[in-house]
Amino acid sequence: MHKKEIADIAITNLVHQYNGKTVLDIDHLSFTRGSIYAVSGQNGSGKTTLLTILGLLLQPTAGKVFFEGKDIYLQPTAITAIRSTMSTVLQNPLLFDTTVENNIAYGLKIRGIPKAERKSTVRHCLHLVGLDGFEKRRAKELSGGEAQRIAIARALAIKPQVLFLDEFAANVDENTIALLEDVIKRVNRVDRATIFLVTHDTEQAYRLADEVINLFQGRVVGPSLENLFRGRIEHVNNLSVFNTGRMQMEVVTERRGSAFAAIDPRDIIVSLSPVRSSARNSLYGIVSAISDNGLGVRLAITAGEELTVKITKHSLSEMNLTIGSKVYLTFKSTAVEVF
Amino acid sequence: MVSLKVSCSAVCLATIVGIPLSFLIALNEFKGKRALITLFNTMMALPTVVVGLFIFSAISRQGPLGVLGLLFTPMAMIIGQFILATPIITALSIAAIRGVDPRIRVTALSLGAHSHQVVMTLILEARFAIMAAIIAGFGRIIGEVGSAMMLGGNIRGYTRSITTAIALETSKGEFSLGLALGIILLTVALSVNILLRSLQQQNN
Repeated sequence: MHKKEIADIAITNLVHQYNGKTVLDIDHLSFTRGSIYAVSGQNGSGKTTLLTILGLLLQPTAGKVFFEGKDIYLQPTAITAIRSTMSTVLQNPLLFDTTVENNIAYGLKIRGIPKAERKSTVRHCLHLVGLDGFEKRRAKELSGGEAQRIAIARALAIKPQVLFLDEFAANVDENTIALLEDVIKRVNRVDRATIFLVTHDTEQAYRLADEVINLFQGRVVGPSLENLFRGRIEHVNNLSVFNTGRMQMEVVTERRGSAFAAIDPRDIIVSLSPVRSSARNSLYGIVSAISDNGLGVRLAITAGEELTVKITKHSLSEMNLTIGSKVYLTFKSTAVEVF
Repeated sequence: MVSLKVSCSAVCLATIVGIPLSFLIALNEFKGKRALITLFNTMMALPTVVVGLFIFSAISRQGPLGVLGLLFTPMAMIIGQFILATPIITALSIAAIRGVDPRIRVTALSLGAHSHQVVMTLILEARFAIMAAIIAGFGRIIGEVGSAMMLGGNIRGYTRSITTAIALETSKGEFSLGLALGIILLTVALSVNILLRSLQQQNN
């Protein structure tokens, strides 16, 4: 799909602090309209803070937020106007204490949309999230998953140009997640809405998004946050060695002292015997879990620390791997991201 | 029905002043906010005779507002009851607004609400507690006798409310009439409460 190559939303030198503690520190990020972005990271990495800042629901402690090239906080009168073209579904969303219909129609009502049109939009949005006929139900009587879907329907009702979804798959069963993912893709494709997803499910982030932003302790980091370890970098024989205390690996960095390291699960080669190659790291481990994620297979391997590795189903059957199999893990020192 | 007229007017005025005031106080951060809230909480316990006394001194012939000729009129009683009801409605509404889920404001904003629409949404979400504040304000003044007596003067057919009539009849030794008036007062209070409650349910 062709997308306009203009940065419609951008942030620069963004810092946000809560009670003096920095929770977000981003030099620059820019976003193009019509794309899907996923913000991924662990709890407390600043995902939700970034989302609420982009949704203009929170003013950052420092830094600039640009919409269509204009510094939004230099023209506070524009904030409400721009905010009204966007909608946000909060993590653990709140429904107003009234009927489902009134909840979904809320954004339409405050925009002065006539009643007949509101009714048909509500019906359409309920259909999108698979809850036809829920109009007259009281919001308080819904289950967690239903409430989540109504909150999404409410956000969709205003046909937002930018949609923010914070952990939309929480409280929702597998089938509904698939349905909601389809809704997201459809809103993106048909209505050309820019979508920001906050998720801690890396698989989902890569499955849905055109671009994944990984946050770690408030900073944007490289492509993977799986196989994340805390340790110290030591210098041994002119080599940088990252040591977690239970596992050592060679890395390429100028840093010293305590640090974090992450290895993309797709960069690790699994073999039944040691591989002679240019890769500097070779670890011996035991397969502790195997899970099928539809497209491939995810292995958990204990090699001092527990590592996640992704391989194809074909490789799994060819190598005849089972839980308890002894394997060698090989990866380049450049595959280890240190920060 | 002097009681009903005076108390309903006073509670309407107190609501018109108290509810916006409570939003201003609850939603804004400013220096002295806590002190102001403490002041309103304290004023909930204002003795009715003290309010009567202050207003009496203000509107009596020699007082600064004496020229208005308000003393011993229903208007004077309304002013007294307004001053008694406003702190209750304000303080209880502040508590109600502070008690609503903070996500309501963010949710309304995230769906494109302007600031006044956010306030309307907050009122709707806090409607039960705000209605309770208004009912408490009404309850405070419908049965109040001190300021009504001092400011209204208990003039028959003009400023004699049920409470001042009860006080008068009891002092005359007409206990049974006093008791009957007491039952009427309770019935009036009950009816107003039922009316407010049904209005609230209609809104639902």
